[in-house]
Amino acid sequence: MRLLLVEDDVSIQQFLKRALVEAGYLVDAASTARAGEAMALEGIHDAFIIDLGLPDLDGLDLIARCRAQGSSAPVLILSARRSVDERVKGLEQGGDDYLTKPFALPELLARLRNLLRRSAVPQNESMRLQAADLQLDLVRREARRGEQLLQLTPQEFALLEYLCRNEGRVVTRTMILDHVWRMRIDPATNVVDVHIYRLRSKVDHDTPRPLIHTIRGVGYVLKYA
Amino acid sequence: MPKEPRATAAWRISIWTTLAFALGTAIAFSIVYFLVAQGLRERSDTWLTGEAETLAQVSADTPSDHLYKRIVREVAELATQEVPDERNARGERLNSVFFLATDPSNSEGLLWVGPSSEDAFVTAIQRSKLVPGAPKSIAVDGLRETFRVVVKQQSGRTVYLGLSDRGATRMLHRLARRFLMVWGGMFVLGFLISYWSARRTLLRVERITETVARIGTEDLEERLPEPVNSDEISRLAKTLNRMLDRLQSSVNQLRTVTGAVAHDLKSPVTLIRGTLESALCDEGNENWRDSVGEAIEGLDRLSQLLNTTLDLAEAEAGALHLDRRPVDFSDVVRQLVDIYQPAMAERHHEVTANLEEHVVVDADVMLLNRAVSNLLENELTHLPSGCRVNIRLRSHDGSAELVIEDNGPGFPPDISSQAFKRFVKGKHSPGHGLGLAFVDAVAQAHGGAARISDRAGSGAVITLSLPVHVLETVAT
Repeated sequence: MRLLLVEDDVSIQQFLKRALVEAGYLVDAASTARAGEAMALEGIHDAFIIDLGLPDLDGLDLIARCRAQGSSAPVLILSARRSVDERVKGLEQGGDDYLTKPFALPELLARLRNLLRRSAVPQNESMRLQAADLQLDLVRREARRGEQLLQLTPQEFALLEYLCRNEGRVVTRTMILDHVWRMRIDPATNVVDVHIYRLRSKVDHDTPRPLIHTIRGVGYVLKYA
Repeated sequence: MPKEPRATAAWRISIWTTLAFALGTAIAFSIVYFLVAQGLRERSDTWLTGEAETLAQVSADTPSDHLYKRIVREVAELATQEVPDERNARGERLNSVFFLATDPSNSEGLLWVGPSSEDAFVTAIQRSKLVPGAPKSIAVDGLRETFRVVVKQQSGRTVYLGLSDRGATRMLHRLARRFLMVWGGMFVLGFLISYWSARRTLLRVERITETVARIGTEDLEERLPEPVNSDEISRLAKTLNRMLDRLQSSVNQLRTVTGAVAHDLKSPVTLIRGTLESALCDEGNENWRDSVGEAIEGLDRLSQLLNTTLDLAEAEAGALHLDRRPVDFSDVVRQLVDIYQPAMAERHHEVTANLEEHVVVDADVMLLNRAVSNLLENELTHLPSGCRVNIRLRSHDGSAELVIEDNGPGFPPDISSQAFKRFVKGKHSPGHGLGLAFVDAVAQAHGGAARISDRAGSGAVITLSLPVHVLETVAT
């Protein structure tokens, strides 16, 4: 997977490039829209990560120019503004995605994976999910830990399903709210944590090998420690 | 103040008023002049006709013997003396009237009474085609003024009587000269008066300009003097003063906000710095991960504060980009209650929700989500443990009403009137006091409203109302 990163802030560009390379992507980086456009038109990238506030051209205009010249790779927009304007919302409906700074790295990676999956051939949706000794039956909405059936509410099941799908990867609180409840909100209180505590008390109850772990300051991960 | 008077508005105003005034009086004078000239003409014509008739009668009645000329001449001379003659600049006498009688049967021919050089008159009379009985103006060679001439015929004799227009012309000239003098005087005086009064009035505006310019560059404390009368300029001063009041309060509010933000930023920054420093310095510490996590949580809170401040600033500046679509308000509230319910239960709050189904509003779903989540967040942070929270949603009279009611301590009396203002919060309450202000801004952007009130007894009631989505009916 080869990515094009267009970001004018050198320190953020370096940091993102390092993180993306560590996550296993090939990354080309550009600091200006002109350089980015030239690279994008080579047509070798699977996705673009574009900052909106570029020095020579607005990021959205850059996207429009790339699209006009036949580039169809999905775009992840980075924006410093929180209430992103309508044009970005429009892009989101077109299959692209955006993130506002500051963001958590796991969220960037998750959104990127989503974009790449969307643009690839759709996978066969599995009826079952398995992580370690945890089994989820997506049709009957039942979860088992080993042999034991877990008594979960529909919300708890949805939360567990999301953690399971991201087994081994950290998910942030905003990602959880976005995927489980379809809400892009940013609560200052511990509302998500309480949901996780409740789920954990059912999933990891009386077991020497807990599955759900808190990554302090970032979020949660489902894995065998 | 402009040094050059010609650059002032007063100058332009007085020029235009004076011009309008001069034009008006000139038109009025022209009408008077025309009427006077007409009156004079009528008077002379009446005299001419009457006199000519008499003379023609006399001429007809007098037998044409050797006495004829003497009699008619005497009568004619008597008649001509009714109009005084005038003298020219050299003192020569200028006859105002002439009389001419012709008799084709009489060989002696013409009878002439008037200026000595009768030939010029005779030529002029012959040249113009006179109709008997109708006075006509004819020009005589060698004379500036025209003569008004009338012809009468009786018993074969023709009588011409002419009256010089000299008197009338002189009178009209005198009239015009006097008018021009008065007119010039009025022009100058009128200009001076209007310039003076316009200048006096506009100097007050000038003083306002100076004061306002000073207020803009120095401080906002100073105010314009407000005169007791209520003319336009006093109203201008009053309006500007009210505007300055509002500006000053906005600036003061801005200072408070900036101060509050700076203050709110300081403590988390200090905390994060301390946490990271201790993680760095404490070499034997195995729990450095915890410290870093704590620091990140602190940073999250910081960016949250920044985001809310920016949101609110945008909302209050009316710069929210609303992406309005029909949204199921009931769904939004149900989802959020679902999210907040466990956290509420952890604090032993008892949450009940009575939500009317399918209350649809035209709203930006992201903003609506955040507004409602702010309201629930507010309950979560401000209520002491073990309260009852009742959430109701219903549509009523074209507006969707979300009511969140609790039996907590209610709003402190000192803030209940301004809880929707930014940074207004109870002394002991956590948070930045931005949440409710944001809710209010979002409600207003959607054409709705947010209200708070204290419940009779105890507890607080927060109401968020939004206009419901109107179904488009298909026109038949």
